[in-house]
Amino acid sequence: MKQKSIAAFLITAALCFAQAPPAAKPKLPFVYTKWKQFTKADGLPNEHVFAVKSDGPRLWVGTEGGLALIDKKSGKVTKVWTEADGLPWRAVSGIDINHKTGEVWLSLFGGGLARFSGGRFDHWHQMNSGIVNDVAYGVAVENDNIWVATTAGASRFNTVSGEWTIYTEKNAPMEEIWNYGVDYRDGKVHLAVWGSGVLEFDVASSRWKDYLDPDGEMEIDLYRDDGIVHVITTAAKYVDKTLWVSSYFGACRYDGRNWRGYYNMDSGNPSDFINNLAARSANEAWFATDKGVGAIMDAASNTWVTYTRDPKSNTGKAVVSRDKTVLETIEMGLNLPNNYIVSADVDGNDVFLGTSKGLAWGIGDGYYAGLKERPKQVAEIHGAAK
Amino acid sequence: MIALCLSAVDDVGRDRSLTVAAQNGATSIRFTELPSRDRQGAVAASRLATQLPILVTALILAVPAAIAAPKRPVYVGVKACGVCHDGASMGNQYSKWLLSKHARGYSALMKPESREITKISGLRGDPWKEPVCLACHSTASTAEEWEKDDTFKPEDGLQCEACHGPGSEYMAEDVMRNRAEAIRNGLKLPTKEHCLGCHIEKGSHVNVIKNSTIDIDKVFPQIQHPLPKPSSISAMPAGRGGNFIGSRACGACHKGKEHGHQYDVWRMSLHARAWAVLSTPRALEIAAEKKLATEPRAAAECLACHAAGAEIEEGVGCEACHGAGKNYSTNAVMRNREAAKKAGLRTPSKDGCNHCHRESHGKTFNLDAAWAAIAHPTKLAPPKPEPQYKTPLNMTFRPRSTELWVALEAAGAVGIVDTATQRKVAEIPTGGAATDVAFTPDGHRAFVSNRQDDTVSVIDTATRKVTHTLKVGDEPHGVLTDAQGKYLYVLNTASDDIYIYDAVTLKWIKKLSAGRSPWSLALSPNGATILVSNTLSHITGLRQPLRSEITFIDTARAVVTDRAMVRDSNLITGIAWHPSGQYALATLNRTKNLVPMTRLMQGWTISNGLAIVWADGATDQVLLDTPGMGFADATDVTFTPDGRYALATSSGTNRVAVIDCAKLVQLIKSTSPEDRKNVLPNHLGKSAAFIVKYLPVLSSPRGITVSPDGAAAYVANAIDDSISVIHLKTLDPSTRIDLGGAKVITKQRFGEKVFHSANITFRRQFSCHSCHPDGHVDGLTYDIEADGVGVSPVENRTLRGILDTAPFKWEGTNPTLTRQCGPRLSIFFTRLQPFTPVELDALDYYITSIPRPPNRYHTPGEEYTPAQRRGKLIFERTTTADGRAIPPEGRCLNCHMPPYFTTRKTFDVGTQQALDRTGKFDTPHLNNVYDSAPYLHNGMADTLEQIWTVYNPYDKHGFTNDLTKDQLNDLIEYIKTL
Repeated sequence: MKQKSIAAFLITAALCFAQAPPAAKPKLPFVYTKWKQFTKADGLPNEHVFAVKSDGPRLWVGTEGGLALIDKKSGKVTKVWTEADGLPWRAVSGIDINHKTGEVWLSLFGGGLARFSGGRFDHWHQMNSGIVNDVAYGVAVENDNIWVATTAGASRFNTVSGEWTIYTEKNAPMEEIWNYGVDYRDGKVHLAVWGSGVLEFDVASSRWKDYLDPDGEMEIDLYRDDGIVHVITTAAKYVDKTLWVSSYFGACRYDGRNWRGYYNMDSGNPSDFINNLAARSANEAWFATDKGVGAIMDAASNTWVTYTRDPKSNTGKAVVSRDKTVLETIEMGLNLPNNYIVSADVDGNDVFLGTSKGLAWGIGDGYYAGLKERPKQVAEIHGAAK
Repeated sequence: MIALCLSAVDDVGRDRSLTVAAQNGATSIRFTELPSRDRQGAVAASRLATQLPILVTALILAVPAAIAAPKRPVYVGVKACGVCHDGASMGNQYSKWLLSKHARGYSALMKPESREITKISGLRGDPWKEPVCLACHSTASTAEEWEKDDTFKPEDGLQCEACHGPGSEYMAEDVMRNRAEAIRNGLKLPTKEHCLGCHIEKGSHVNVIKNSTIDIDKVFPQIQHPLPKPSSISAMPAGRGGNFIGSRACGACHKGKEHGHQYDVWRMSLHARAWAVLSTPRALEIAAEKKLATEPRAAAECLACHAAGAEIEEGVGCEACHGAGKNYSTNAVMRNREAAKKAGLRTPSKDGCNHCHRESHGKTFNLDAAWAAIAHPTKLAPPKPEPQYKTPLNMTFRPRSTELWVALEAAGAVGIVDTATQRKVAEIPTGGAATDVAFTPDGHRAFVSNRQDDTVSVIDTATRKVTHTLKVGDEPHGVLTDAQGKYLYVLNTASDDIYIYDAVTLKWIKKLSAGRSPWSLALSPNGATILVSNTLSHITGLRQPLRSEITFIDTARAVVTDRAMVRDSNLITGIAWHPSGQYALATLNRTKNLVPMTRLMQGWTISNGLAIVWADGATDQVLLDTPGMGFADATDVTFTPDGRYALATSSGTNRVAVIDCAKLVQLIKSTSPEDRKNVLPNHLGKSAAFIVKYLPVLSSPRGITVSPDGAAAYVANAIDDSISVIHLKTLDPSTRIDLGGAKVITKQRFGEKVFHSANITFRRQFSCHSCHPDGHVDGLTYDIEADGVGVSPVENRTLRGILDTAPFKWEGTNPTLTRQCGPRLSIFFTRLQPFTPVELDALDYYITSIPRPPNRYHTPGEEYTPAQRRGKLIFERTTTADGRAIPPEGRCLNCHMPPYFTTRKTFDVGTQQALDRTGKFDTPHLNNVYDSAPYLHNGMADTLEQIWTVYNPYDKHGFTNDLTKDQLNDLIEYIKTL
């Protein structure tokens, strides 16, 4: 009996030791599975959403046909302004908030610049002010100055002195003057310029620095990660001392020392044709492409989540990938109203994406930055894993 | 990399450096101008050149290119011209200038007459510092320091370069001998028109100096100074040298009122011209009479008395009487009289004068009279004291006290009235044009806005001392703190914004956008909302009705949350919350500017009333007028603590309206929405429903407040220097608290009273102030004459700086202010007997002396911003961007000549509209043009930009269509500095 017991113990122990250790779950990024959509049926004045800007409990939406305000708490469009309501120009291409004063600044595609304050719109255009051109693509609040990216250069409006300064090839390293995007953070203004890469204006020193494609080739990227991927840029966002850049030919990231380029062929970006981007941190950025959204959720490991919708079935999916290797595919209900993404913003845990057919609001309940071992697969949570 | 720095002197005598750098086989050359302190180092570095032959070669190659870099013409000063342009062989041009009044132009600014001219022109500073004065009395007054060579001295007055342009580029003899070349290099040949830029008749000068007007046709030949043909340059005789340092050296310290303007006294004297007179025909006659062998300037006998200064041309300089100054001129020695004496400072005696003056060429010399005339004491006699008024405007009770603090505009102070004893107990100087006063909730700190100085004074109420002075925006008016005392709100009425400060640390937090001309603030009873009244209507476009704003501020976040619009109204000034917090009242005017003013006869042109601003932002309006009597210039409003009454002041009719609040609300709520919109705001008879009584007070009542216990209301009678106390139980306004202003009424003060009184208008509907608030503009375009609705509308123009800009009206048809404010006013505006001659004289005097604010975009003496500098070049340009000559009529300066930047002539600049009866309009002056939008004769340009982007398609309003957008921006940045 004693011998049997010993043998049984040894067998049991041998079986235990012979069993492989449990496999570690892969570290994966957060995947947005809760989405809300806003279209004309929900009160948007137009479904071409050129700009979206989160402002605490409010969400400002700039469309081709007016400005809308969404109350995040109720999840409803609470107010719409068209030209009949005093909006100076119907196409709102960019939005920024002066959090100090509560003023909402709007770039107007064809109408210049507007300020919305206390229900009043003030309008600056090339006929009544010093703005260089009315075809404005973007706006950024920099201290007491307002920057506007226009088709004929950038304008800087000093709201204290009223002085307008124009930046073109005359006084900035702007090889082309078609400014697509402007952003301000941490003392630096970044301009994304069609054909002139990214221009960085250091506010303290008033000095310019340009980021151009070092290989000088428009069609090909001769040397990987040698600099900006292409000079036809669409947006540049500077977060945590890291510069994220989108272009019509890929995206890239610059941490102050090294560049890294991202193409559809080697990343989770669904397309190299990128209209805009939103950066949450040095590690995470969202790219608005013509074929969906590419979100690099962990730059260190090149881990992406690609969001697209199936135009036929009104459903969406998210694909988690690393270096183009698919780690996970999550089917979900409708995420994006359309795969043609025009604008993007992130705020808190949420993400907002303007498309050519309405607005998508990704609700980040349980959001976490970077990667982690999930207690359950996202697919398990939603019961739709493949 | 190897670098070498060398210094060089270019052809205009300016030190320049060349940096030659070689790296990786490439050589780069940088050309810069050197500050003087760098010169020594640069020269030292140049020694390296001998050791670096390759780089020197590069340098030599580079020099011509560097010297050919864009030249900056600089003013070299009259003395540099005089070096060549004197002597008989050069037509004695320099001496002619020395003998002219132009040479004394700057020095004349220290005369008492100049002081009076500035006063009646509304200028605040010393004449010798005022840009408008300096523009004609000195040279290069708008030039920056880099544009003036070391040899240029502003005290030389109107110098050669004032007419001929900065000389650095054309002064070389070879250039000057070639007229065309000299012109290419900047030499200007002035015409009578140029002279008239300054010599056109000026009301300010005519009023003070008889015969100040010149006949340009007579004077122009006198000032001409042709060169003989042929001409030749002869060396100027040497000065005395030795220990003589020259009067300029003395003048470096002995100037300004602190030193009795001693240098200017000398420059104004005949002594300063003693050498120059030797070139006159009379001097030659005397020389002939005396049978001198040489011309007077070469005769030792003449020079002994006529050239006793250090430099020959200064005539009888300081040292001629006080001895050579080298050893006593230092500050340390001069301040010790004994030491100065020992070092050679002489005390002149009458005997010394006689040395020269006893032989006075046949003229009688009265030594005592001359001695008195030449006196130049260091200490000037104090100016004659002028009556000092107080002009109380706005008042606030210090929390938990009986102290009523009163902002005293004319005194530049805040007065403290003890309401228990009903006496003024203190006055604390704060700053120019004290306007409003507010307290922290604990009453420990007071804040007083000083509109003239752009400051807010912070006062410790315990010590009654100003502890801090905050630099705020343009023309601060209302001030207020929130209920917690966290933030201080300051309304900058001229820059249309609201500054917010930390009320504890006094640090600036942010700026909010207001309406136009924010005026007063009112904190809601629950402390959650501040309302801001704005006096000017938004710019609504040509022939569009008015729309004025009440700005809502959320005090928790200190941001604007709403902007209630009050239709068809303007001059919203006073504002107060009803104690219930349900609504606020604001005083307003309803100006019917779109129909001919002569509609006055039909009953209304400007009506006066109240806006009812509901807590949700909705507004109503009622009038405080009655059919037979206007309530002109409703100015301020307050409530009794129980909310029963509201009290409003009418500064034009010297009355207070007592309003039954319940009846007012009842009237509004019982009226249909349509009638609330169209009838109540216009119905002169409706005021009877809620007005309890009109109470007479004293001259020009402005601010009104009620004591915390509700026993009395206090009314600031601005032009009576008093406070009326209204006992609220009896509504008796007869108690008067004197604030201590001068009792004598000057012409200016009387004019101020006339300006603010509605007695001149039919049924007392409005005053001069109603359209020209505080002497400025209401920003409206008026249809004045009874020539049909909409015909010949004209934009209102500021009264600031008006005196020297005749003729008046946009069509330039009124030659004088007397005509403008007399018969014309009566015919087109007031429809009553015109002002009496005494009233009119006083009114004109007051109007012209309305203080002008300083220019907020450029301070004289400071550098221009790069944009302003570029804009100045555009403003003064004579060629297009591609080098073609701009015809004179297309140049800015052709019509907008300094100092007022107007030729005061009418021009057709292509702005005539279908209903205008003429296309020729008066050229407006451009001083502080940024604060009088909209623009053009009918106000159709909302902004300066629109003048050129919209209304100048054919370059008739200056040649501008070749400008790029950034160049136009630069031009506007410069225009704002004028």
